[in-house]
Amino acid sequence: MEPLKIPATGRTPEVDFDFAAGILRLSGESYPDDVATFFGPVFAALRSFLEKPGDHPVRFDMELLYFNSSSAKALMNIFQMLETAARAGRSIAVTWCYEENDESMQELGEDFAEDLRHVAFTLKQVPADGAS
Amino acid sequence: MLAEQYAAIKRDLDDKGIVFSFSGYLSEGILYSLGEALREKMTLEETDGPTVRRVFSVFVEQMQNIIRYSAEKVTGSTAKPVELSAGMVIIGMEGGKVFIVCGNTVVNTDVPRLRERLDYLKGLDKDAIKTYYREQLREAPEEGSRGANIGLIEIARRASEPIDYDFHAMDGERSFFCLKVRI
Repeated sequence: MEPLKIPATGRTPEVDFDFAAGILRLSGESYPDDVATFFGPVFAALRSFLEKPGDHPVRFDMELLYFNSSSAKALMNIFQMLETAARAGRSIAVTWCYEENDESMQELGEDFAEDLRHVAFTLKQVPADGAS
Repeated sequence: MLAEQYAAIKRDLDDKGIVFSFSGYLSEGILYSLGEALREKMTLEETDGPTVRRVFSVFVEQMQNIIRYSAEKVTGSTAKPVELSAGMVIIGMEGGKVFIVCGNTVVNTDVPRLRERLDYLKGLDKDAIKTYYREQLREAPEEGSRGANIGLIEIARRASEPIDYDFHAMDGERSFFCLKVRI
């Protein structure tokens, strides 16, 4: 399946979904003026990837530094898709990165992980890069 | 006379510790530009990253609430759809803390529901806000809400003190709504 690559803008994240390798990555910041328009194609690509049978393990790296509340809903949607696929037997690992001292992002990771039963979830502290 | 008049406004803002203020028609474009200026200013003052993000988060949610729910709006379509919403946003420092105030017109029929939500949030402690956030994150959005509820919870969560709000009746149909958040 073709990879999905969307470069970051000032307010939308970088999407780097390498479906062939099973490595999906979301980084940067997310507060789009229209969440549905931005995340629509992301959901569609992810859904069709997860629907295809495959035993290749999937890794999802959540490296967002900031997301607004409407993006939180979109992110939850992605997590639910991953959990559904994991429940069906796919091996899926999610790594939620947060910068050291960023308690808000660490807590959000815990909020999102709460009802993951089949996805292997890891919270990972990364050094702050100095930029906000 | 001219300078004196505006200097008085400027002095009044300065006296209240106000660093940024904007009143008028807001759009997503203005949100972006003001947000960038706010972050640059805070970063120059060597505010740590997580604090900058907390302030920025409250700012974004407040601005988007105005853009989506202000009762004073101009919408239309030029090259792309335009949504301009009247309101005001003020950011300042008070007792060593950053505060953000937003204000906009709401229709009176929306007041009871908004008041109920804010009262409920105001009564929750940190842990209860967190639990409420987790619940709402998994809820389908209410009809016509465009996600306001989780936005208000996000605001309350980033605040270091309970949120402050007030309504001021303008006429039989509309009220001015104000929300103050200290971070």
